Amino acid sequence: MEKLKVAILGSGNIGTDLLYKVLRSSWLECSMFIGRNLSSKGMSRALSLGVPVSDKGIECIRENPECCDIVFDCTSAMSHNLHAPLLAQLGIIAIDLTPAKLGPFCIPAINLDACLNDVNINMITCGGQASIPLAWVIGQTQKNVDYIEVVSTIASKSAGPATRLNLDEYIETTEKGVKMFSGCGRAKAILNLNPAEPCIDMQTTVYAKLPEVDLPALQQGVRDMVEKIQQYVPSYKLVIPPTYENNRVIMSVRVKGIGDFLPSYAGNLDIINCAAIAVAEEFAKKRSEQGVI
Amino acid sequence: MEKLLREMIAADCQEVVGSSPEALDKLRNRLLYVTGGTGFVGTWIAEMVCYLNQVHGFGTGLILLARDLDTFRKKAPHLVRCPEIRLVGSDVRDVIDLPSEVDYVIHAAATPDNRQHMTNPISVMDTITRGTATILDAAANLPHLAKILNVSSGQVYGRQSLAGTAITEDTVGEIPVNSITSVYPGAKRYAETLCSAYWSSRKLPIVTARPFAFMGPYQSLDKPWAINNFIRDALTDNAIRILSDGKAVRSYMYPSDMAYWLLRMLVDGGSGMAYNLGSPYGISLREVAEKVKEFSGMASEVLVRGMHEDNSVFVPDPGLVSASLKLEVKVDIDQTLKRSLRWFRETVKR
Amino acid sequence: MRNVIISDATLRDGSHALSHQLTKGQIAAYAQAADAAGVPIVEVGHGNGLGASSLQVGLSLLDDREMLQTARENLSRSRLGIHVIPGFATINNDLRFAFDYGVDVVRVASHCTEADITERHISFTREQGKEAYGVLMMSHMAPKEVLLDEALKMQSYGAEAVIIMDSAGAYLPTDVMDRVGHLARSLKIPVGFHAHNNLGMAVANSVAAVEAGARIIDGASRGLGAGAGNAQMEVVVAVFERLQIKTGIDLYKALDAADIVEKSIMASIPYISSVSLVSGLSGVFSGFSKHVTLAAIEYGVDPRDIFFELGARKVVGGQEDKIVEVAMELKDRRERG
Repeated sequence: MEKLKVAILGSGNIGTDLLYKVLRSSWLECSMFIGRNLSSKGMSRALSLGVPVSDKGIECIRENPECCDIVFDCTSAMSHNLHAPLLAQLGIIAIDLTPAKLGPFCIPAINLDACLNDVNINMITCGGQASIPLAWVIGQTQKNVDYIEVVSTIASKSAGPATRLNLDEYIETTEKGVKMFSGCGRAKAILNLNPAEPCIDMQTTVYAKLPEVDLPALQQGVRDMVEKIQQYVPSYKLVIPPTYENNRVIMSVRVKGIGDFLPSYAGNLDIINCAAIAVAEEFAKKRSEQGVI
Repeated sequence: MEKLLREMIAADCQEVVGSSPEALDKLRNRLLYVTGGTGFVGTWIAEMVCYLNQVHGFGTGLILLARDLDTFRKKAPHLVRCPEIRLVGSDVRDVIDLPSEVDYVIHAAATPDNRQHMTNPISVMDTITRGTATILDAAANLPHLAKILNVSSGQVYGRQSLAGTAITEDTVGEIPVNSITSVYPGAKRYAETLCSAYWSSRKLPIVTARPFAFMGPYQSLDKPWAINNFIRDALTDNAIRILSDGKAVRSYMYPSDMAYWLLRMLVDGGSGMAYNLGSPYGISLREVAEKVKEFSGMASEVLVRGMHEDNSVFVPDPGLVSASLKLEVKVDIDQTLKRSLRWFRETVKR
Repeated sequence: MRNVIISDATLRDGSHALSHQLTKGQIAAYAQAADAAGVPIVEVGHGNGLGASSLQVGLSLLDDREMLQTARENLSRSRLGIHVIPGFATINNDLRFAFDYGVDVVRVASHCTEADITERHISFTREQGKEAYGVLMMSHMAPKEVLLDEALKMQSYGAEAVIIMDSAGAYLPTDVMDRVGHLARSLKIPVGFHAHNNLGMAVANSVAAVEAGARIIDGASRGLGAGAGNAQMEVVVAVFERLQIKTGIDLYKALDAADIVEKSIMASIPYISSVSLVSGLSGVFSGFSKHVTLAAIEYGVDPRDIFFELGARKVVGGQEDKIVEVAMELKDRRERG
């Protein structure tokens, strides 16, 4: 079977980790790894893995639009704003891992199929990929949900300078995603950084306030959801099952990274990359069914 | 940008160039390449080149290299429209070749914002060290390179033990090696030494400028520096706060002086030399605050908290630049503050 | 004679002791009294500061706006302060409006090793022309060299002081002298200290801080604060008078303010309960104590075991969800024998 061709735009840590995931995929082939500087660490690594590389940025795709069907954009929101219209014009699907928020929000376990009709898909935030599915289950199984809160704690080492400078955007984007998918009008997102050594795994807790809780429905819904997510994030694990205590619903998950390129404590970065791969593979499956490839 | 502000800058350029533009004649019909081209230094070089072209028919070409061109397009659309100016969007570390027609290079790519030095120290050091090496390598291949001006920093002087005296170019101060506060001065020192190595080994014609403090158009009031805060607080009618006893002495150069000095250092500076770039006229923080209050005409009070003593003096000695390049300051501190206040009033209004 | 600025945390850290249920009447009465006593800075808000009312930490009775408005209306001499933790409060959701309510001093806080998340909040505060302090919480979890590095970052962002918090009440006076002294010698901005009383050292530690060069001391009337409470402000004022340290606060009126706290705000006088003592020993955030007590009852386990387990896992402020997880695990472990 011929694989779907994907290009990775951005040769930093996220792009390099995605490269490893693409190389493992039986549906995807990395046809171009694109950065700005051939001597950067990500580029050297891609070269050593025998992957075609380019240091021309988006120009590489403009000059050779046939090189890929899908682009993972791991540059920056500012750059993605420039890339998006060009990719759309060329008929190339953009899976956006920047905070640009141009396309619809995608959580593979919830709205993967719906996203396949779009040309630009936004992967929200790392905490959002972990928490929004649980918030969605709350919205699906409970009535009159008054308020949902999602709290993520990640290892300090997994938060680089850009993440730290953009905490506010992380919070606002995650809150938007929680509201959108759960249908609950009030939501809050909190992020903690924990410097403990050895590094902690990412943990995300979801709370809800509601007048009365249908716990069996919630527990069943969460069990199903966790199973679904585990198909693309194998280490997604429920550590506090849905519980009603002290006038609130609480549940908590932990995510350990696969450790492809990013260290295993960076579960927060791993989950968003896993989700992006899940989207691309779904496109590949659809194309293969349609016999397009 | 409003006509009023453009005229203000043109008048500033006119004032420093004066009736003798021939001092910069070497730039006529030459091509100048500036890294960090959209920053404070680069923008003023562009204003000055624009002025020389429009008023004195210099025909000087200018290429501005920077990562973020959009901000510049918004900030100075009149410069973008200037026919002799070309913008190139790239990280300085990713430059491979310079256009072969380039005659002069000004390397000014590094942020002096100390918040970024602290928050993103690895990237700051990499941009300065690898960025400088990249530009020097590219410049070494130019067929008719006339001169490179490396914009370093007055911070390379480090801690000064001789309190109270102006700093001469050969004053070597102490920079602690194992502190986050050394990220910027340490990298800048390395970059200067790297320039010396290229000068010595590859015979590149390199001049270094060591900038001190500036105030004027195109500064940002959100920078965490005392004088910027004084002006911002005065204009927003907040109290002007000085945490120390206000006795620290600094000097502030107006940017038209800065741009003129830089171009003169570029064309006439001795290869292998380093020059101070800053006003030699020291003024205490307290006096600056009082003047800002007075000139702004606002009711802001000046609060001297006196939490600690600060007798530090950070003022360049002008001996070398005045003897060898005949450079002098044309805009005094009062004019510097008055024009800055006028500029920021107008730009904030917009 | 030395000058020290007292920053009053009664209506902020005290919120932890009241499960964040301060009323408008309480805020108004106390703010008036503190203002009359000449307290330089009066902090108001949820225990974890602006935007922190949450199921994770506890929901406030009043929203941030109501608290700020009430305090502002009752302060004329004292400056109005807030505590802000990036990760909880964003500039757009929370900080922007706080200035509309007349906040004077913004204390931007992070865990003691994470100062770079405070850059934008500190810068934004300075851009509004208001005073910004940096706050390093849980400072016992990092050595003094790290604290200095983080404090230098805050200084570069424009912080006009750095306060180190003994959030778990884990310090002894020599620890305080060592850390505060190291910072005071190396920073250009004043150093402050915020004590908790879990080991009975809050006032002694505050004195040690000033001896080592601190210029800002946090206190709370009657010690009203998380866990075993803060340094009791009126005692600090009295002790400083004896030591010829000037605070500018009228002692008699500070005592009046403290009486208001005792009579009409606190349910019980803060004391070093067994749980709080263990919290200090294990180095866990004082603000966890009510949550730990509740979880211990809910899951039928010993609150002291929860604290020691949390300490072993190096949990930081804001990780209240870990309390439930640890309590469940302890219960599980016991049931399995």
